[in-house]
Formats: sequence, C-alpha cells, structure tokens
Amino acid sequence: MAHSDKMKITFRIWILIIVVALSLISVFGLPPQALEKGLIITSVEQNSSVFQDGLREGMTLQSINGQEIKLLEDYRSAMKEITNLEENETTKLIIQTKQIEIINLYDRTILEDISLEEIPLTKIKTGLDLRGGARAFVKADIPLNDAQLNDLIAVSEQRLNVYGLSDVKFFKVETSSGDNLMGIEIAGSSPEDLEELIAKQGHFEAKIGNETVFVGGDKDITHVGRTGSDAMITECFAVQEGESCNFQFTIFLSEAAAQRHADITDELSINGSYLSKKLDFFIDGQQTSSLNIGSSLKGSVTTQIAISGSGQGGTRNEAIESAKAEMKQLQTILITGSLPFKLEIVKIDKISPNLGEEFSKQILLAGLFAIIAVSLVVFVRYRKIKASLALVTVSLSEVLIILGTAALIGWNLDLPSIAGIIAAIGTGIDSQLIILDEARDKRESIKQRIKKALFIIITAFTTTFVAMIPLTGFLSFMGIGAASAGLLKGFAVTTLIGITTGVLISRPAFADIARQLEE
Amino acid sequence: MEKFENWHDTNYKKILILPAIVLILSLFYLTFFYLQTGDIINKDVTLTGGIAITISTQVSAQELETYLSQTIQDFEIKTISDNTGTQIQLIITAKEQDTSILILTLEEFLEYELTSENSSTETTSASLSQDFYKQLIVAIILAFFWMSAVVFLIFSKGKKTKFQVIVLNILFGFFLGNFFLKTNPVISAIIFMIFAVALIRIYIKKSVPAFAVMLAAFANIIMTLAVVNIVGIQMSTAGIIAFLMLIGYSVDTDILLTTRLLRRKESVNKALFGAFKTGTTMTITSIIAITTALIAIYSFESVLNQIFTILLIGLGFDLFNTWITNASIIKWHIQTK
Repeated sequence: MAHSDKMKITFRIWILIIVVALSLISVFGLPPQALEKGLIITSVEQNSSVFQDGLREGMTLQSINGQEIKLLEDYRSAMKEITNLEENETTKLIIQTKQIEIINLYDRTILEDISLEEIPLTKIKTGLDLRGGARAFVKADIPLNDAQLNDLIAVSEQRLNVYGLSDVKFFKVETSSGDNLMGIEIAGSSPEDLEELIAKQGHFEAKIGNETVFVGGDKDITHVGRTGSDAMITECFAVQEGESCNFQFTIFLSEAAAQRHADITDELSINGSYLSKKLDFFIDGQQTSSLNIGSSLKGSVTTQIAISGSGQGGTRNEAIESAKAEMKQLQTILITGSLPFKLEIVKIDKISPNLGEEFSKQILLAGLFAIIAVSLVVFVRYRKIKASLALVTVSLSEVLIILGTAALIGWNLDLPSIAGIIAAIGTGIDSQLIILDEARDKRESIKQRIKKALFIIITAFTTTFVAMIPLTGFLSFMGIGAASAGLLKGFAVTTLIGITTGVLISRPAFADIARQLEE
Repeated sequence: MEKFENWHDTNYKKILILPAIVLILSLFYLTFFYLQTGDIINKDVTLTGGIAITISTQVSAQELETYLSQTIQDFEIKTISDNTGTQIQLIITAKEQDTSILILTLEEFLEYELTSENSSTETTSASLSQDFYKQLIVAIILAFFWMSAVVFLIFSKGKKTKFQVIVLNILFGFFLGNFFLKTNPVISAIIFMIFAVALIRIYIKKSVPAFAVMLAAFANIIMTLAVVNIVGIQMSTAGIIAFLMLIGYSVDTDILLTTRLLRRKESVNKALFGAFKTGTTMTITSIIAITTALIAIYSFESVLNQIFTILLIGLGFDLFNTWITNASIIKWHIQTK
C-alpha cells in the first residue's frame, strides 16, 4: 500500500460511496426526473369536467392534440384554440399524460381548472421563505384545549378546501404561556384575502326581526346545494358601472329550524303579498341581505330555503366570476358554521415566490465561494493535493447526503435549514482537519491516533447533538421550544442530519482515506 | 520556539488576566445595556413584532422615506442590491400598529397594489414575538448547560457524580421550560442561580478541564454579545441561530485542546502546540470560508449576513478564549496535579 498510488477502497469508503449514490437518487430521482419531458399538473379543480374525466394532480402532461408539451409556453400555444373560444363553445381536446389519455369536448373553463408547472430539476422541496407562500399563526380569544384546536383545524381545512386551496398544511403551536395556536402554511402564491379567509369567523345568522331562525353549521342546516339547479347564476343585467349577476342556491333546514321558522312567521302580519317582516341574513353581525317572505309561507314548516345574492364586475364575465365567488363564500360559511370563539391572527407572513429565487441564487453563490476558500486554505496548510481533494470531496458528499436525506423525508428546506447545512459542513471540515492532523502525528501508531481523533469527533458530535435537541420541539413535554421550534426547527433538523451522518458515515471513511494517505 | 515556550511557562497564569478583564468589561457593558434598554440585545422586527414589507423596486430609499415620514414616524428602510450595486429591493419595517397605514401609504406611493406576487409581507404580533424570544432564550440556555453536561460526563470520573449531573440537568430543563420567565422573575432568577451554582460547583470540584471548556464557551458568548451590541447589530431570529452555531464551533476547539492535553504522550507544551496548530487551522479555515461567503453575498442584505457577521466576531473571540483562557487553565491544572 505504502508506495502504491492506488487508493484501496475499504469497507467504510464503500459505505460512503453507496450512501452518496443513494442520496443522488433521492435528490434527482431514478431515472433523473429532469430528463422527463412534460409538465407536472399541480392542481385540478375538483368536480370540474376534466377532473371527472380522470385528470389528477401529480400527473405528467405530455401532449395536447398531438402537440408535444415541454415548457409552459408549449402548453399556452397548444391551448390557444381554446382561449379564443366564445363562451359555451367547446372544442375537442386529446390530453395525453404519462398516466392516462383523455379525449373529450371542453369549454374555456378548463383553462382555470388546471394549473401546471415545469418538472423541477430535483426532488428537493424548498421552504416558504425560498419558494414563496404564506404562513399564519392564529389565536383564539379563549384558551383552546386540544379537542377545540382539532375542531378549529378541521373547520379551517374545509374552508380553505372550498376555496380551492389544497396545498395547505396545518399544525399546532404551543406558546410558553400554554396557549394553543393553529399554524397554517400555504405553498406557492396565496390568495390576497387570506387573512379574511382564516380569521373571519363567518358566523352566519338568519333572523326575522330580533329572533334567530337558523345559524350556519350542520345543526340547523342539513344540506347546502352546490351543484346543478340547487346552485346557479340566475340572471345578469347591466348596471351603472358595468354588469351585475344574481346567484341563488338552496339550503335544507333541520326540522327544529324549520319549526322555528313556522313559529316566528306565524306571529307576523300579512302586508300585501309579503309578510310584515323580512328574513335578514347576517355574517359576523353585519347584515348582508334580506329576503321578502311570501305571505303563503306564514306559519308553514319550510325545510327548503333559497338564498340569493349578487356579484358585480366591469364586464359580464367578471360579474359572473364575482357572483360565483360570493356564492362559494356564503356556501362555505353555511356548511362549516362557526366556532364558539373569535380568532385573531398573531403572525402572518406572505413571501413572494419571485423574491425567494434571489435568495436561492445567493446561497449557491455563498456556498461556492466558501468551498473554494476552504480548498485553498487546506492546500496552503498541508501542501498536499490529495489530502485537500479528499477533504473537499468528502465535505461535498456530506452536502449531498444531507440534501438526499431531506428529500427522502420530505423536509422543506428553508433558510434556517440552509444555515443548519452550513453549520454541519463547518463541523465536518473541522473534524476532518482533526483527523488529518492526528494522522500526521508520528509518535503513536496510526490506529491509536485515528482512535484519538475519533474520540474528539464523537465528543464534539455529542455536544452539538444535545444542543440541538431543545430546538427540535421534541422537548415540548418539558415546555421547551414548542412554539419557537416551528421557526428554527429547520436549523436543528439539518444540523442533526448532517452531524449524525457525518459521524456515522463520512468521518470513518475519511479516517480510512487519511490513514492510507499517511501510510 | 523555545523562547516562546519559556515565556509561556512563566507567564501563562498572568495572561489569564487578559480574558478576565475583557469578560468583566463585557459583563459590565451588558448590564449597563440591559439597564438602559431593558434587554441584553437590540431586537429587530422578527423578535419585537411588527411588519416587514419587501418590494422589488428601483425607487430610491430616500424618496420613499420622505414620503412615508408624512404618515408614520417609526419605520426603517433597508436597500438590497445585487453584486454590481444595482438596487433590487427595499425592505420597510414598522411597528405592528402601523401595519395597515404603512401598506396604504406604500400603495399610494408606488401607485400599484401590493400583492403576494410583487411583495412579501411578514407581520408578527408583539406578544407572540415576545413569547418566541423567551422560548429561544430558554433553548439557548438549555443548549449551553446540556453541552456542559456532556463535556463533564466525558472528562470526569465517578459514576455517582455523573448520575447527579444528569439528574440535575434534566430537572433544570423542566424548570426552564415550565417556570422560568413565567412566574415571578425574582424567584425564577434565584432558582436559576441555585441550579447554576450547584452545577458549576460540581464541575469545578470534579473536573477542572470540563469547567475550563465551558468557561471559554461562556466568555465567548458574552464577549461576542457585547461587540454585537456595540456595533449596533439588530438581532433577528437568525442572529440567535448564529449564537448556537458559535457555541458548537467554539466547544469543538476546546474539546480538541482538552483531549490532546489530557491524553498526551509528550510534554504539555508539545501537546499544546500540536493542538494549537490543528485548532487554529480549524478556526481560521472557518473564518476565511465565512469571510469569502460574506463578501460574495454582502450586498443582498439577507439574514445570512447577520449569521456570518456574528460568527466572524465569535470565531475571533474563540481564538482568544481557547488559546488563552482554556489553554492557561488546563495547563495550570496539569502542572498542579
């Protein structure tokens, strides 16, 4: 070995090589997903016609009407024909995905039902602060127990789903004063009215005079019509500043609520063809609309009630869209009802997707410069190309292993996570320098020296390991770091992955390399 | 070389006075700072609560400042530029209560609506930020004490004391998590002191090397904190990460030094010099890597700037504290044994 230039690949080095290979697969996919052609479908509007034909989120779109789709521009040009359609006109589309082929007639709405993105180069998911998105922490006006918090999460989830937001993550956050908060994370661009969506309770009440007939939620309302003749745009007409459209949908009341309706209307006098009082709708205490009650309904037990409203816009299409949105919001409120507490947003971050790209670029730049600097310093210090190369290679393989593990467990890399990678790599380089120096020390046997180096490394590893634990949120039973963990957890997670794989995989391998370089 | 060895042999105890003076001055400064501001650091909007809006714009910061000052008093504008010095973004921060007025005034000034596509907004309530801050402080204190415990467990002997230290540290964790900063501050402080004194006493009595490691790490944090305040850095949550990284790096070199000296096969000075060579290579490599990275990305003004700046200050003090504070104490300890 002593005079041969060839490096013997020991068992430990093999392990490092295998783990790096697996990490590469984890990061890039097998076969690499970058080689795949097409666009990823990121969402399909539920119950849209193309959804019913079987198109689903996650499929890979390959061609439309035989036209190959590689980039978003290809998609746009392939869909040009459908963009130019008049309302209610349809055209035939052959949608070829990797998974299925769909042939059907579609109208213009298909454009809004599907969203796509280009296939990303790697499987690494980035966090909100890099990819863009929104994060909110919501607090109730009373202390919530776990069951109440779960209710809140369930209702909010439903509410956001109705609004077509599906890539939403909910989590619990505990503050040090014992408050339970709800955390929400939405990836990508978020709706402008997110605050209202989350925090507005949408407490719905239907009143006649001062008496409540029914409230939102499944206790009083057994069913809310959302399709077909149960929910539709009834008419559109020109108004002063453009167009206005009316919508109407049917709701079905429980027997108790219907009985209340009968009792209350029974007291009212008849005023022409209507009753003397109107049925008024309130959302969060604000009156939104009121309906005249036909005189024939006096005292009758009605389980079906038609709710109507309107939306305005500059053009007819805008008016229709706005009416649809209004209707959807009202339906949501009626379905989900309200919780017995008021909500307050205590933290809301909305990160523009465009600003995140800037960050990613500079992080790569910083990493590149740091690597060059480290290689130079090591070379100047040891004057050995091989040792410097080995050190830099092992460090880079550590970066790969961390990224691979992160991709494998689906960890979203945010800025703190990247700081964690930097920390782990820094510690890794320190450890390798210790190994190199111990290996050069000639007073003891090489085995002894490497053993001493590994002792120092394991001690250093253990100290960092315990220091990271309070940040992971695992100690919430001790009351430590539960809420803050959400923000800095990424740092702890990547540091822990980095130092652990380092001490188990790359350090032993590097020790073998260093031993061979010295022998 | 021999000359230096002789000098060090006669003077290594005396030079301990240097870190002692710097440490005492730093502690004084931090106390003074605390009395003046009510906290030991300058907190930025991520820790105090409030709003930060980032917009991509070519509009000059001055122009915007003049305009905004008509409606709000307490705000700050930071300019972010790329490597060529071209401005890319502005970050405007203000207090929580000014959130809506700031957005309105900005939209008026920019003459377009702020959406989640063209801007980023981060709003945090003051109470929640306060809570996060407390939890982070608790996490850092605990990280520090648990690191000390690990160092102690490795460099000391005797199962009984080791067991005591583990139990004390777990109890300490429960205390920090559940009572510290929640109940009466005076009582909390007293209990905290009791724990700290008990642990430090055990460390000094049973393992001076372990104590020296932690003293060096502690001095490192305090000195860095003092300089961070003097320079006027406004700390964000990212800055707190930097302190955690710093503790990790500084303990690494201290452990290297301690192991080399306690398990040496040669003279104390030889071992010390060997450790010095390796340790300074480690620290200087880090310093050079971080400096280059910082230069590469400086104009972006991102959170990484703060992490790197604090690390640089801290690594400088690490050289000082490892090779004067820790080295002298452990040499003293070995010589008297």
